[in-house]
Amino acid sequence: MHPLHREKLDAGDLAVQTWAQFVSAYRELNARKLFWVALILNAVVIGAVAAIGIDEKGISIFGYALGIPGVNSRLFPDGKLYKLIITTVGVSFWLSWISTILALLSTASMFPDLATGGVDTLLSKPIGRTRLLLTKFATGLLFTALQVSVFAVLAFLVLGIRGGVWEIGLFVVVPLMVVFFSYLFAVQAVVGLVTRSPIASVIVACLFWIFVFLVHSGEQFTLFGATASRLEIEGMEKKLASLQTEEAKSGLAAKLEEQKANDGNWRLAHGIFFAFKTVLPKTTETANLVARELDVRVNNAPADEEPQQDDENARRQRGFFRSQFVTEKKLSAEIQKEMDARPVWWVVGTSFGFELALLGIGVWYFRRRDF
Amino acid sequence: MTNARIGAASDLAIDLADVTKMYAGRVHALQGVAMQVRRGEIFGLLGPNGAGKSTLVKIMTTIVRATTARGTILGAPVGHRPTLARVGYLPEHHRFPQYLTGRQCVEFFGAMSLMRRTERRARAAEMLDVVGMGAWGDRRVGTYSKGMQQRTGLAAALVNDPELVILDEPTDGVDPVGRREIRDVLLAMRDQGRTVFLNSHLLGEVEMVSDRVAIMLKGKVERQGSMAELTDDSRRWRVTIEGTAPAWCAEFARVSPLLEQGSGGSARHAVEFRNDDIAFVQSVIDRLRAEQIAIVGVREIRESLEDLFMRLVRDVDGRAKAVGAGNVNTGTAAGAGAGADAKGGR
Repeated sequence: MHPLHREKLDAGDLAVQTWAQFVSAYRELNARKLFWVALILNAVVIGAVAAIGIDEKGISIFGYALGIPGVNSRLFPDGKLYKLIITTVGVSFWLSWISTILALLSTASMFPDLATGGVDTLLSKPIGRTRLLLTKFATGLLFTALQVSVFAVLAFLVLGIRGGVWEIGLFVVVPLMVVFFSYLFAVQAVVGLVTRSPIASVIVACLFWIFVFLVHSGEQFTLFGATASRLEIEGMEKKLASLQTEEAKSGLAAKLEEQKANDGNWRLAHGIFFAFKTVLPKTTETANLVARELDVRVNNAPADEEPQQDDENARRQRGFFRSQFVTEKKLSAEIQKEMDARPVWWVVGTSFGFELALLGIGVWYFRRRDF
Repeated sequence: MTNARIGAASDLAIDLADVTKMYAGRVHALQGVAMQVRRGEIFGLLGPNGAGKSTLVKIMTTIVRATTARGTILGAPVGHRPTLARVGYLPEHHRFPQYLTGRQCVEFFGAMSLMRRTERRARAAEMLDVVGMGAWGDRRVGTYSKGMQQRTGLAAALVNDPELVILDEPTDGVDPVGRREIRDVLLAMRDQGRTVFLNSHLLGEVEMVSDRVAIMLKGKVERQGSMAELTDDSRRWRVTIEGTAPAWCAEFARVSPLLEQGSGGSARHAVEFRNDDIAFVQSVIDRLRAEQIAIVGVREIRESLEDLFMRLVRDVDGRAKAVGAGNVNTGTAAGAGAGADAKGGR
C-alpha cells in the first residue's frame, strides 16, 4: 500500500499542511522589502520613545531638557509617561494606522494570487477549500503578528529599562492588534478573491475602514450629546429643587422641558448609530483596549464637583452646550465610564461576528468557484 | 473499441462514467464523458482547443466541480480528497510562488501532499536531479526560464511518489533536448508502474509515448484505445510490384499509379487491398508470383494518429454543421477551430 494512502486525513496530516503554509507565508514576507522596512520603522518608533527621559526635574530628549513646566516624574510616576506614549503614539497611531496600512499593502496580492494562477496546484492536493482559504487568511495575519511582536518586545524592554516597570500586560497588544488587523484583512481578502485585483482590494478595505471610522465618530458624537443632555437635565432638576422663587422655577422648568425634548432626539440618534456600530468591526475600540489594559489615564481625580459659575476656570471648563450645569471634565469622565463599561466581549465579539460573516461569504464563494 | 469497459475496477487507475459539466450560460463543456485508464500505462488525451480536455483534468483533480460525475480515481470516488495525496499533477501554465527556491517549492507541494519532512526533503532532492534541476534547486523560481519552471513543476508533481501522474502540456516551453528528457522521465515512470495521464496538443508526442489514447471532441470522448485499436479500421495491405498490375487486381484492390522507377527502368505500382485478411493477401501474392510478376515489397498500412484525429474532427464538425442547419443552439463549449489542434502536430 502507498505510504500516503488515506481514507481520512488525521491531525498529523493537517499539521503538516498548515505548518507548510505558514512557513511559505513567512518566506513570502521575508522576500518583501516592505516587511523589513516596517520592521525597521517599528524599531525607530520605539527607539524614539526610548530617547525620552523623565525625572523629578522634568522631561528630556536625548538628555536635552525640554523645560515643559509641570511635566515630571511626579505627574507621571511608575513609567506612566512611557505607557502613555506607547499607547497613544505607538499603538493608536503607529500600529493602528501606519503599520496597518503597510500590512494591507504587503498582503494585497495574497488572495488575488490565490484566485488566479497559483491555485490549481494547491487545489489538486488533499486539502479542502474551506481549510485552504482559512489557513491562507491566518497566514496573512503573520505580517501583523510578527511586526507587533517585535514592537511589543522592544516596548517591553524600553518600559522596563527606561521606566523601571516590567509590564507583562503590554503583550496584550499582540493579539489585540492582530484581531484589529483581521477585521480589515477579512474585507481585503474577500474583495481580492472576488475581484482578483490587489489594488481594488486595498482601496475597498481602506474605504471600509474610513466608513467604520465615520460610524464610530458618529456614535461618539451622539454619545457625547446624549450624555451631555442627560447631565444637563440632572443638573437642571437639582437646581430646580433648590430654587426658592416661583418665577425662577418656571423659567428653568421651561428650559428643562425643552432640554427633555432634545434629549429624546439625542438618544434616538445615538441608538441608531450604536445599533449600526454593533454589527460593524470596532477598530478604534479594539485598539483602545490596550490603553484600557495598561490603565494609562493620568488624571483620575473625581470629576463630580459643581462648576463655580463666576469662576474663570469653571467657565473654561464648561461643557458641550456651554452649560451652566455640566463641566467638560465631568462629561469626559461620564463618557469614559460609558466606554469602559462596554465589555471586551462586545468590542471583540461583535467585531468577530462581522468578520466571520464576511469570511463565510468568502468561503461560500471560494467553494463554489471553478478555476 | 470506444467506450466499453476494459477491465476490472482494480485494474483501472481512472474509471469515469457520465462526467458532465455545464458552465454558467448553459455552456455544456463535458457531455457524459466515459474514460478508462489502466494502471501502469501512459494514457494520452487529445483534442482541439475547447474540446473539454482541461475541464476533465480539472474535475479529476477537484479544481473544477463536475455537474455530474460517476467513477473512481485510484479506486476512490472522484473528488475524494485524501486520494489526491497519491496523485501528482502538473497544470498547464502553472505559476509557482516566485519567492521560493525550486527546492522549497517542491518540498512545499510534498508537504501539501502529506509527506513528512525527512522523506520530502530526500525525495525533493531526488526529483530535482531526475528532471535535471539539481544544480539550480537553490535559486528562486522567479529567476527560472519557462523550461526550468516546467521541469520544477514536473519534480513537484512527482515528489509524493504518485501512483497516478496527470500532466497537462508537460513539454510546453521546453526545448527539444528537454522534451526528450521529459519523454524519458515519462517512460521511466511507466516502467516503475505509475500511471501517466498525458494531456497534450502535440499529437506526435502523445503517439510516441502513449500506450492508449482518447480523442475528445466537443465535450465527448469520440475514440479511446490503443494505437492499434484506434487505427484497426484503417488497416490494409500494400503490395508493391515491378511493372503493371494485372487487370484482375482492380476487383478487390486499389491500384495506385506509378510509384517510382524500378532498378531496371521499369515502373513500380502499388496494389492496396481493401480488406486486411492476411490469408487473402497471401493468396493474391501467390497468384501474382504465378504470373511472374516481381513483388518488391509487402507492407501493412495504417492511418496515422494525426490522420485519424483530423478525420474525426472533420466528421464531428460535419455532423455539427448538419445539426446546426436545423438547430442553431448546439450547447457546447467546443467552438474553437479544429484546425488549431494540430498545431505542432508533426
